[in-house]
Amino acid sequence: MKCEILYPGAFPMVRVYLDANETVKAESGAMVAASPTIDIESKMEGGFLGALSRKMLSGEKFFFQTLRASRGAGEVLLAPTVPGEIVLLELDGVNEYMVQKDGFLAGAEGVKIESKMQSLTRGLLGGEGFFILKIGGLGQLVLNSFGAVHKIDLKPNEEYIVDNSHLVAWSSTTTYNIEKASSGWIASLTSGEGLVCRFRGPGVVYIQSRNPGSFGNWIRQFIPVSE
Amino acid sequence: MNPTPNALCFGDGLPASGAPCSVTVSAEGVTIVPTGNAELAEEAVAFTAMSVEAGGLDHDQLVVSWGHGSARRTLYLKDPAVIVAFRRTAPHELTAHLERAAQQVRRARHSHRLLWGSLLGALVGLGLMLWFGSDLIVEWAVAKIPIEWERKLGESVYQDFLSKETVLKDGPAVSAVQEMTQRLAEKIPDNPYTFQVSVVQSPVVNAFALPGGYVVVFTGLMNKAESGEEVAGVLSHELNHVLQRHGLERMVKMLGLAAVVGIIVGDQQGVLGLAKQLGMELATLKFGRAQETEADLTGLRLLSDAGIAPDGMIRFFERLSEKDGGRVELFSTHPMSAARAERLKAELAALPKRMPNPFTFEWKQVQDSLASSVPKT
Repeated sequence: MKCEILYPGAFPMVRVYLDANETVKAESGAMVAASPTIDIESKMEGGFLGALSRKMLSGEKFFFQTLRASRGAGEVLLAPTVPGEIVLLELDGVNEYMVQKDGFLAGAEGVKIESKMQSLTRGLLGGEGFFILKIGGLGQLVLNSFGAVHKIDLKPNEEYIVDNSHLVAWSSTTTYNIEKASSGWIASLTSGEGLVCRFRGPGVVYIQSRNPGSFGNWIRQFIPVSE
Repeated sequence: MNPTPNALCFGDGLPASGAPCSVTVSAEGVTIVPTGNAELAEEAVAFTAMSVEAGGLDHDQLVVSWGHGSARRTLYLKDPAVIVAFRRTAPHELTAHLERAAQQVRRARHSHRLLWGSLLGALVGLGLMLWFGSDLIVEWAVAKIPIEWERKLGESVYQDFLSKETVLKDGPAVSAVQEMTQRLAEKIPDNPYTFQVSVVQSPVVNAFALPGGYVVVFTGLMNKAESGEEVAGVLSHELNHVLQRHGLERMVKMLGLAAVVGIIVGDQQGVLGLAKQLGMELATLKFGRAQETEADLTGLRLLSDAGIAPDGMIRFFERLSEKDGGRVELFSTHPMSAARAERLKAELAALPKRMPNPFTFEWKQVQDSLASSVPKT
């Protein structure tokens, strides 16, 4: 499998080249177009219970779709739902990333996805919910973001503070604590920043330049309310 | 062929996401063989040169560090087979470190489980509390608010409101309202409030009370009333909203948990800041039906105590229900006027009979003074 990002920026697509009989798993509904040699199979990653727990717990789609080049090599075009950049990561079997629940777009066959329960404080205050995706294994991983993606490299023990709604993915070698943005609780809640994550390296943290929750609040004012 | 990677190595010159490598454990230490990164050289590290701790997001990785300055390397091991081999082979000094590391992991997992358990318990408790006692929580929180906070809050909204309105400074209407307020306030035992009442020029048939004892009476109400006793009835009702702290109760309900937390920790600035976000909504807070009924009944008793004929209040509600079907702005969220009047009549019958003292002003003159100053709308 080989991936190429088309139209980089706000409205990108990913072109995935597949050799004969190779597969790619993608977020359900992400396929835009494909060669006639490609078949779409729905597959419950991790079995029924795994899929159920992912759906119930992390809000991820119940099925990932699996696209298989069953009748010869071909290509698939994939796109995320929200406008924003796409990032390609190469998983080598030891690298593992924690990915917020809307961040997964596609992954090679060898990529393993599971739901992971976060600790109480992280789940309650971290902004990604109690469950996130833990993605490891081998092969290319395609993540999508809301807005532009920015990569933060952290050396061992190096720290960085990120607003919790801007997180996309982070290495499992990093650790983080949730903190108030200001000294007082009410000031933290009313300053607009609320809670932040203090990351500590080594590892990388991918953040998105836009906050989906704030965007939702902003757009809500333009949506007519039906009585 | 490169061996399969089972660890990540970090350090100067290596990728931030870690250089994949293969680690094998021997009697002397570990051997690190790079599996693709040219910057990482094959290296054998003796147990004596390294330090060990637990690391990673869940404290489930074995972190091995050695070297100093720019030559310092940190290895993240996650493969259980390698970790077991390491623990078996490493000398006692290091194993002690490891045991501490393993204990850290166990402790973290234990506290994790404990926290989830407590969260579940707390959620169930909170659910039950909200189901059975949300009003109790609000009442409890309101009782904790010092009068001083309440006064500051009411005053800022009051001044803000008055600055945009035409306020009658003096004249018969202002004197009349002051006389009513004074007679009512005198009969309130242990009154912590100093009531401030303003008469605002507006055709709106309304009056409202803000937390802290700030009351606004609109000239529309005074024009509509047939006697001073009717206005005093509305005024007594409004003063009782203040005395029962109904405005604060509604505010705490609207602001929710943040306000309760602010009150508990004594964060005056925070609570006032939150309340100010409500702004003028405070002036137009809709009281609940139970609060209205409470203010009606206590208002009636106060009128009676102050020697003001309480039937003025009842008469006012009756006229509202006749002429407006009970739906005038002031009363739109109130219980229907006719039903209120009936309830008040029953209450009045139970009160000891008192001879009312008339007001010193002539109501007709008060209304005439308004007619000359109020623009027709």
